[in-house]
Amino acid sequence: MKINPILSSIVKQIREKSLEEREHSRRIVNWVEDHRLASGIGKALVLILPTRGCSWALSKSGGCSICGYIYDNPQQPDYNIMITSFKEILEQKIEGNQKFSLKLFTSGSFLDPKEVPLEIQKQMMIEAAKYDQIEEIVLESRPEYVTESILNNIAENIDINKIEIAIGLESANNNILKNSINKGFFWEDFVKAVNRIHDKGAKVKAYLLFKPPFISEYDSIRDILESSSKIAELGVKTISINAMSIHRGTFLSDLFEKEMYRTPWLWSLIHVCKEIKRKYSDIRLICDVVAGGSERGAHNCGECDKEILSIIKQFTLDQDAIILDKTVKCSCIEDWKSFLFSEKITISELLDIY
Amino acid sequence: MRFFQPLSQYGLARTLAETRTRTHLSPGIIGIEEPENPDGYSAFFDVMLPSNYSNLDDPFRLIWRIPEEKKVKALSTEFNVPFQPFYPPSNDTELFENDFESYTSRFLELEDIYKHIYSLPINSIESSSFDLVLKTDVSLIALIGLNRVFNNQRKLSETIVALKDKLSPDIGIYLPGPISPAYFSFLVYMGIDFFDNSLAYKISKKGYFILEDILYSPNYHPKCYCQYCSEKPINLLGHNEQIIKNEMSKVRFALEEGTLRELVEKDIHRSVTFAATLKHFDKNYSKIFSQRIPVISSSKLKCIGEEALYNPSILEFRERIRTRFQPSIENKIILLLPCSARKPYSFSRSHIQFRNAIRRSGKRVFSIISEIIVTSPLSVVPRELENIYPAKFYDIPVAGTWSDEEISITSDLLLSILKQYPKDTVIINHMHGHGYHQIVDVLKEKLPLTIIDTASENSPSNYESLNNLTQTLSKISEKFDMSSYSLSPKIKTLQATADYQFGEGTGKILFSKDIKIKGRYPKDQQIFREKKHIATLSSRTGFLSISPDIAQEIIEKSRNKLEFGAEYISGSNIYAPGLIAADNTIHPNDEIFIINENRVIGTARAFVSGEDMNKMTSGSLAEVKKKLKVKK
Repeated sequence: MKINPILSSIVKQIREKSLEEREHSRRIVNWVEDHRLASGIGKALVLILPTRGCSWALSKSGGCSICGYIYDNPQQPDYNIMITSFKEILEQKIEGNQKFSLKLFTSGSFLDPKEVPLEIQKQMMIEAAKYDQIEEIVLESRPEYVTESILNNIAENIDINKIEIAIGLESANNNILKNSINKGFFWEDFVKAVNRIHDKGAKVKAYLLFKPPFISEYDSIRDILESSSKIAELGVKTISINAMSIHRGTFLSDLFEKEMYRTPWLWSLIHVCKEIKRKYSDIRLICDVVAGGSERGAHNCGECDKEILSIIKQFTLDQDAIILDKTVKCSCIEDWKSFLFSEKITISELLDIY
Repeated sequence: MRFFQPLSQYGLARTLAETRTRTHLSPGIIGIEEPENPDGYSAFFDVMLPSNYSNLDDPFRLIWRIPEEKKVKALSTEFNVPFQPFYPPSNDTELFENDFESYTSRFLELEDIYKHIYSLPINSIESSSFDLVLKTDVSLIALIGLNRVFNNQRKLSETIVALKDKLSPDIGIYLPGPISPAYFSFLVYMGIDFFDNSLAYKISKKGYFILEDILYSPNYHPKCYCQYCSEKPINLLGHNEQIIKNEMSKVRFALEEGTLRELVEKDIHRSVTFAATLKHFDKNYSKIFSQRIPVISSSKLKCIGEEALYNPSILEFRERIRTRFQPSIENKIILLLPCSARKPYSFSRSHIQFRNAIRRSGKRVFSIISEIIVTSPLSVVPRELENIYPAKFYDIPVAGTWSDEEISITSDLLLSILKQYPKDTVIINHMHGHGYHQIVDVLKEKLPLTIIDTASENSPSNYESLNNLTQTLSKISEKFDMSSYSLSPKIKTLQATADYQFGEGTGKILFSKDIKIKGRYPKDQQIFREKKHIATLSSRTGFLSISPDIAQEIIEKSRNKLEFGAEYISGSNIYAPGLIAADNTIHPNDEIFIINENRVIGTARAFVSGEDMNKMTSGSLAEVKKKLKVKK
């Protein structure tokens, strides 16, 4: 069984309660940011498509224990508006000789026909194909939607080599997927999807989640290193490490509020980036820190956060591990060590008595 | 076979040593990484923080500090944390419980369980899966979540009792995570054996500068002159580490010296909840402590706070006075005396004066008087027992005021002794002061005996009072024929000591009129009967040791028996596998009798209480003192 029924039912209870309270908009949220493309530094145009949201999150499983993106999705998507504004945004934002990466996010799976019907997927690809500046298109999907027919629908309408399918694997460890994240699929499912995508000629980006619930930071570092190795061996060239941030209305958020969870340290992120990049230098390693420096995102002591966040950002852009060696001096590095040990040995029952 | 062996016990606290090499390890500090200066550490975790690709498969290892030359002999030199429960215990109960069971069943499948650290969340202490683990040779338990009940005296006490009730004393308890050294003494007293130095590392922005009992901000604190603080910039980690090590060293020393309780009574004033917890413990669970406290000791006992009234050593003393002490009821006079600062009382100026006053009333008056010293917090010390622990070793700040609790405890015990005397016995009250007065009032109300006050006007050492005492004694003793009372005070002391130490009724069997005593204080007394050496009375502790053939005489009546599974003892220790059953009244450090089929085959000194001996499955229980000579 790929889910733990007890965990799943707890996650579902929290999900149902929070879904009632959600607000939503049908606007396509979009922005342009600096981005590292395979061919060098350029821009990324990010679009958040207002689909009905992740089918896994809406299912009776309750979805992932850590994810609250579903609360931003509308209950009733309007595909006509979606296509019209999609065209407008591309027209407005893609200009000049800049290289672009187009990121189509739904907070769920772009390839899921229940979120984005095949016809809409097709129209968007046709539209994007009109722009030479767009060198890469990133589509997010769970592995179960990566089927022969859905991939063909994409490949028939755009140069498949431009396509990168991003899969939120989170961890290559099935125990973590099942008992911590409630992910609903296993490593083996990811491997199948990767092979299908590679066979078609598209690329894969794997997301890894740093520090899911109940995994101590010490163990999570080990898991990220192990998972990266397994992914690299599959021939995946891009790994994105997502440091945990707390989404409201999630199981994790409850733990956080009960002071049973601390978001990761930035020292840990520097460490894992350094380790992975040194061992797998040809991997593009991305580390975008959401809510960095705040209590609900990865943070250190508060004084060195800014400096370390800018180093991590620079690394993601340059892909040069040397910048990670830049010494930041802050005495909280000892505190971090103590935390790594204590959290692990006390099974996250970390209560200081002094 | 378990890795640890308790070498001494003091309530729930123990000194644990590696079982084969006897290397002292607890109470101790565990480093969270290999320390630069290993002195003062019992062990360290050999773990890379954080892990990298080169050590990804390394186990979470704990390395014990065992001297190089002993390593070969040791049962093991390292432990590890093989895996842990997945869900923390304070999460959803159903989620946690299923997982904890599967964690435990995996743990039980391991080889050499003694080398693996078992993680025990406090809410699983009563679980049946933990019971299964206790049947193995599990040696070190990391106790998870105890900190959660630190602010709840009732829960903290209940948790500790529930755990300790199940545990054999050779299982070490490690309380992981940052804990202030200010609480070490209390937690060791509660039976925690190991702490780590993770607090020392917490020196960042929200960090600390530790002194003995308080955490200061690193920028504003009393100046410290240790070597680490004179480094520039100051080495805060080095400083904090050192404070933690020093605090542990104090606790360890107090435990070895037998003064842990005093240190605890002093240190609990650092925490409101811990102070309350100690009181809660004393009132509700004193038995589990007192049966594990050495009766034979010669350490100083300072009774300063009100907690001292419930000091387990003192509780045990009162209990034995109540149940084992046999007053000489043929004596016609009971003399109640106040205590003195100097111990034993007879060496004090005031008691020398009292005894001179008694002597003046007639040559042999001593043999018809029961002298009883009334004191707090011990309550009642018969003259015969003034030389034993804790009577000879306690010290109190004299303010002359007695609390209601002290008065009621003392008069209760006094009544239980005085009730045994026949109705024609006369009590002379040679005590003065409000507290004593109130106690005697209780006696007057509840006893049919005549009570004469000889120091009601002046202090007991006052000339008038002493004169009163002489006169009163002369008057009363005239009525009695003293020639029939010929048991000397020395023999009475020996008899009372044997009763106190080995059980009621043993004194009369061992020591009769025809014994000879050689050696005077401060030398040990050697006791002979028909030219045969039968016992030694230690002048240091005030307690007896006897040889196996003499112990045979009292075997019907005595406690302190350990039934042994072989006819003869080989070697110098009694090991757990040889034990059939141990007397539950055995206290650590006791002189015990090794019995095989009703025959005393040796005497030994107990390492742990009888209760705990019965729980142990490996390791040594006692050190043999004398063996019965085997005729070849």
